[in-house]
Amino acid sequence: MSLYNFKKIQVVPSANDFLDIILSKTQRKTPTVVHPNYKISRIRQFYMRKVKFAQDAFEEKFASLLEDFPKVDSIHPFYADLINILYDKDHYKLALGQLNTARHLISSVAKDYVRLLKFADSLFRCKRLKVAALGRMGTIVKRQKDSLAYLEQVRQHLARLPSIDPNTRTLIICGYPNVGKSSFMNKVTRADVDVQPYAFTTKSLFVGHMDYKYLRWQVIDTPGILDHPLEDRNTIEMQSITALAHLRACVMFFIDLSEQCGYSIEDQINLFNSIKPLFANKPTVLVTSKIDSARLEDLSEDNQALVRDILSDSNVEMCQLSSHTEEGVMETRNRACDRLLSTRVEAKMKGQKINDVLNRLHLAQPEKRGDMERLPCIPAAVATRVKYDSNDPKRRRLERDVEEENGGAGVHSVDLHKHYLLRSDDWKYDAIPEIMNGKNVADFVDPQIEEQLEMLEREEERLVKEGFYESDEDEDGDSDSANGMEPTDNARIRRMARKIRDRKALMNVERRLRRSRSSAPMPQKVARRLATGDQLREHLEGLGIDEAISSATARSRSRRPVKRTRSPSRAESMARRDETSVAARAQSVVVARSETGVKNPVQLKQSERLRNVAQRPRNLNGRVGDADRSIISAKPRHLFAGKRKMGKTDRR
Amino acid sequence: MAVRAQFESSNEVGVFSKLTNAYCLVAIGGSENFYSTFESDLGDVIPVIHTSIAGTRIIGRLTAGNRHGLLVPSTTTDQELQHLRNSLPDDVAIQRVEERLSALGNVIACNDYVALVHPDIDQETEEIIQDVLKVEVFRQTIADNVLVGTYCAISNQGGLVHPRTTIQDQDELSSLLQIPLVAGTVNRGSDVIGSGMVVNDWAAYAGLDTTSTELSVIESIFKLQDSQPSAIVTDLRDALVDTFS
Repeated sequence: MSLYNFKKIQVVPSANDFLDIILSKTQRKTPTVVHPNYKISRIRQFYMRKVKFAQDAFEEKFASLLEDFPKVDSIHPFYADLINILYDKDHYKLALGQLNTARHLISSVAKDYVRLLKFADSLFRCKRLKVAALGRMGTIVKRQKDSLAYLEQVRQHLARLPSIDPNTRTLIICGYPNVGKSSFMNKVTRADVDVQPYAFTTKSLFVGHMDYKYLRWQVIDTPGILDHPLEDRNTIEMQSITALAHLRACVMFFIDLSEQCGYSIEDQINLFNSIKPLFANKPTVLVTSKIDSARLEDLSEDNQALVRDILSDSNVEMCQLSSHTEEGVMETRNRACDRLLSTRVEAKMKGQKINDVLNRLHLAQPEKRGDMERLPCIPAAVATRVKYDSNDPKRRRLERDVEEENGGAGVHSVDLHKHYLLRSDDWKYDAIPEIMNGKNVADFVDPQIEEQLEMLEREEERLVKEGFYESDEDEDGDSDSANGMEPTDNARIRRMARKIRDRKALMNVERRLRRSRSSAPMPQKVARRLATGDQLREHLEGLGIDEAISSATARSRSRRPVKRTRSPSRAESMARRDETSVAARAQSVVVARSETGVKNPVQLKQSERLRNVAQRPRNLNGRVGDADRSIISAKPRHLFAGKRKMGKTDRR
Repeated sequence: MAVRAQFESSNEVGVFSKLTNAYCLVAIGGSENFYSTFESDLGDVIPVIHTSIAGTRIIGRLTAGNRHGLLVPSTTTDQELQHLRNSLPDDVAIQRVEERLSALGNVIACNDYVALVHPDIDQETEEIIQDVLKVEVFRQTIADNVLVGTYCAISNQGGLVHPRTTIQDQDELSSLLQIPLVAGTVNRGSDVIGSGMVVNDWAAYAGLDTTSTELSVIESIFKLQDSQPSAIVTDLRDALVDTFS
């Protein structure tokens, strides 16, 4: 959440540990075997690598340390001041500066020795140079012993600082020691600050959080402050001053009117006046605590006047509370929060950023459109329902409970049918087929199917009644018979002629359609060959020839169908299979390449003779062809020359 | 009453559920925790139904509906449709819609009287919406986003729209919908309102990350627990200003 998280700084090792870490890392991560009879360049390279690796490791480590620690000049002034007070800024900067110098020194040492290594002429010299390089680096790190130890302490302390967000809504509680600041803190937040009846119980800043007006508030409890000049203040007091000086917060200045804290009212008022410059531009609340012991009204005139004098400033408001009786605690808190919120909102409304979010502060109200009333639809059961309470023994049994009883998530599978709203509860678990006779059942489900069927039937009846289905031919016949005329030959001939004309016209149209297509027409010769029985039959029928004859001939040529093994006796079907030519077809017949596509032995002979003639010239030349086996080199050099090492024998 | 909920550590409540005044659809998840959040509040009032749409769990984004009906995309299987028909009350119509923009929840935002739809939606779909959901249909965008269902959440009492909606747009939309509107966020600043929360006339569910300020805006604008939308510009204003900038 907070921008400043000092808990993530990694541990700063002590100088010796630092050295061990880097040297062992160098040893682990660089090659370890070198021989005096290696080429000198290889030996040099081996040691240079070690030196460079050690330098890199040192540099990386230093860089990450310098990166982790907050830079005093670039963090929020509150934290910068806090670091200054707690750890002394100069000391802190010096320590980090020394680490930085050490880093540079190490890199220059490494550079020097790498240069020297280039001129080393033996393994022994290389090794001495490496040892010297690492030794010098080690010395440099060891010289940083104190800085490293100091930084480790700073790190540990920083990690324990409360994570204060300097920019959020904050209440700062301040005042003399022992006036009841921490008691109030404990009342309004859950921080659980130590409360003791002596001064300076709280020795550092404490942070607590609370919720008010849908917002998160940060409450900072500060150590008590005494009334003396700034330069005399100790570290504990200075923390309070830092918080007051740098956080834009609501200041709650506590005074103890009962003087049980051991300081007079006059002293406390004086403190208020002396640190008043710190409250400039901040909403300030003067909180009089311990009102169970003494109230403002109980004071002497002089003291009352002192307090009223403070309140004359418009920026200061007074609240009274008693953490003991809890009287006024929440009122005080709300008052302080409200004042801070209004100042913050006022400041923000003046800024530029608010223009971007103005639309989110707008409530769009509808303009009336039409006469329709658009009422919310809330079932009556909503008002009467009982709020679910997990402690109520008569609570609703939830699916979660059912799941728990049946082995928990992942084991229990939820019952989807349980809440079906059907006419009869018995139907809930009925299995409905998804596919039946290869058809999707859902495609035929229609809630209105009965009505639609009835409607269709009614329409059918109507149509029948109206005589919609009585065909023209019947009408013709009817009219003929109605006229009482015998259908004469003449009439029949005329009718036939009409049929022929119609047919011709149809054929004409068909032909035109056929011609108009884009693909090439099939030659008649081919078409005849490809024609199937069906087309043939159609054609013959069209010519008026009895189809029985033609289909019979076609059938006789084709194979008889084999009955499926569904038949009652298997033997029977086997026998039938033997009858047919299936057996012959089941075996594959391998025909020599030279014999394929040959009709008869005469042709075969002819083809063989032609082949021999074609091969004759090549045979006469005695040329080598691709098919001849050849060994190009009987003893290839790459397999027979040189030393044999491991794994070569087999390859030969 | 506004409640925070989470579906299998996702805050996008509106993706995995659909809430209307007559029924509530909930995705089938690994455990029943999410379902039971709805069940404990709504179980006595309206049916809370486990379902998947086209085998997926993103039912809130694929379906659109109100108390009159439910529209499901063409990818819904016959079995899912049958399950929904069996589970929903008889006066709720279900319709499968052949629409190119098949995530109907993203392209349709509706309450019981008005629907805002994606400008490119099919004419036929628009008619189906009118007939099945019994609403007036307006083709609109919200803060220049065409996915109207994603960027707003509306009930019959109020509506929450994308945080970048201009004041003029808000007023216009408010007059179309005839409900008060406010621009806001859910789930700690997320602008995908429609997928971050679900709402009906008496209950709202938002993701677990929703801050208390966001939740109080939700309660006010949707008039939950007797709060009034005017609270946003009065009581809540300071808190809103302080959190925004």
